[in-house]
Amino acid sequence: MPLSNSTSAPAAEVLLPEGLEAESLPRHVALVMDGNSRWAAARGLPPTDGHEHGMRALMKTVRLSRAWGIRVLTAFGFSLENWNRPKAEVDFLMALIERFINDNLAEFMREGTRLRIIGDRSRLPVSVQKTARDAEEATRNNSRLHLVLAISYSGRMDIVQACRKLAQKVDAKLLRPEDIDESLFADELQTSCAADEASSSCPDLLIRTSGELRLSNFLLWQSAYSELFFTDTLWPDFGEAQYLQALRAFQSRDRRFGARKN
Amino acid sequence: TFRKQADSKVLPQPGHELGFSNLIACYWFLILRLLPPHLSQPMGTKAMEAFVVNETPVFMNKPPPHVFKLMSLPSMIIKLTLGLLWCIIHLAISLLSLCSHLIFNLECSLISSGLLWKYRNLQLGRLKYLAIVVDSREAKNTVKINQLLYWLKTLGVKYVCLYDIDGVLKKLFAPGMNGSRDNNPGDYLDASANIKALDCCQKQMTIECISGSDGKEGIAKAANLLCSSYLNGDSYTQENVKSEENVKSEENVENEPVFTETDMASALKSIGCAGPEPDLLLVYGPARCHLGFPTWRLRYTEIMHMGPLKSMKYGAIVKAFHNYSKKHQNYGK
Repeated sequence: MPLSNSTSAPAAEVLLPEGLEAESLPRHVALVMDGNSRWAAARGLPPTDGHEHGMRALMKTVRLSRAWGIRVLTAFGFSLENWNRPKAEVDFLMALIERFINDNLAEFMREGTRLRIIGDRSRLPVSVQKTARDAEEATRNNSRLHLVLAISYSGRMDIVQACRKLAQKVDAKLLRPEDIDESLFADELQTSCAADEASSSCPDLLIRTSGELRLSNFLLWQSAYSELFFTDTLWPDFGEAQYLQALRAFQSRDRRFGARKN
Repeated sequence: TFRKQADSKVLPQPGHELGFSNLIACYWFLILRLLPPHLSQPMGTKAMEAFVVNETPVFMNKPPPHVFKLMSLPSMIIKLTLGLLWCIIHLAISLLSLCSHLIFNLECSLISSGLLWKYRNLQLGRLKYLAIVVDSREAKNTVKINQLLYWLKTLGVKYVCLYDIDGVLKKLFAPGMNGSRDNNPGDYLDASANIKALDCCQKQMTIECISGSDGKEGIAKAANLLCSSYLNGDSYTQENVKSEENVKSEENVENEPVFTETDMASALKSIGCAGPEPDLLLVYGPARCHLGFPTWRLRYTEIMHMGPLKSMKYGAIVKAFHNYSKKHQNYGK
């Protein structure tokens, strides 16, 4: 597959919906896409239908993010704890993830979306690992939007693997233990891949759907100063209106990141 | 004024709605723009004009400043009608917001007075550990903090972890912490230096005070400790290597450190940054953000935003506890 030449810069003029100001939009948005099974159960459908519709809602959100100039979108697709679900459901989700990447790769390449997968890949089926690797390689030159899919991800394991990488560097005499600080630590987290001059690996806004009010082991370190937006909407129903609501709520907040306002 | 967003779990928050004074300012703006310059100048001084311009919503049509001519009658009627329509909509939204705020206050009063049946018998069995995040500016309000702690104690909360990023609460509680400990301290009293040092004299409730240095900085120090141990060939990491299920580790076991969550938890405990994972976290402040609360402990914590500390209400806390008691967690399964 040829490498994409879509190194497109953000669109010069983006028509933002009423009430949104470009300069105060979050650069990095994180999503906990919860509620697929409940959505399906409410309609008398099998959970697999809920996940299918959830996949469509994710693509909708990706397109909106790209259109509105969001630089990084991190979506929590599958947690380490989700491996404890019934095998049939897990197998379906793995196949769905693979299909999501394959079906939308052309659009990612055309629209300048860079795809990255974070999480414990060793547990993924070989075919999913290969698909993910190929897609990352194909889109590595894209820069309009970084789409980070957290698959088989755990916030705590992210912290532990950062320790591991630091220990390797210490062992290789590249680093001394006493040099380890927050900044060095953050650079070793899996989400640091999405950080660039324009955006941070830490989400400015974290959205969770379905009415649950917790992080569920997602981006624990990175969400220290994130605006947390919880909505009752189930993920398959999450659309432009709900996204706008979250972005407007973000814009109205007084965020000082722990500092004092002069 | 307060604003409640439909379909979201947001408690009333201070917003940026324009007040009634701004409605008047909008009318002045319209009048100044429609009148000819020789009539507008004496009435609208530059200061007044600057004021009304600043207070007007951005979607009001503003004619260019240099165009000061008398508008035709139909245009004037249209502009006035549009302005009136906007003001009516704004008034309606402000009234809705006010009603929402009044309903919330009424509900809190009814809860406090015990008139609402469903809030009478709170089931706090699942709520073993409660955490409170307070914005550091508001943390200096000792009256409110003490009142909050008193309310929590009367509700039967056994363990409270107070957090603010600047350590204001730590300094606040440190001098007064000379009371006796419980006769049966329990496991959690050994978990953190902050608990040992700041054990409160209130026998029925344990208070832990932590700050930003116990959060990310604590994890960095724990990483430092783990790396130092690994560098020194500490045996505990080698044993854990053998016990861990790692698909790729067999050939690399001698070269690659394999830390586990248990190792990290032990390291945090060693440096005094361990503590129980809160079941519920109440955030008091302007932003819906946990402000760097120790991230290792937040894995499955329910997070509820309560608004500014100065407007805290007993009924709101009871409601939060009630909502928490109804929660069900699958833990990913």
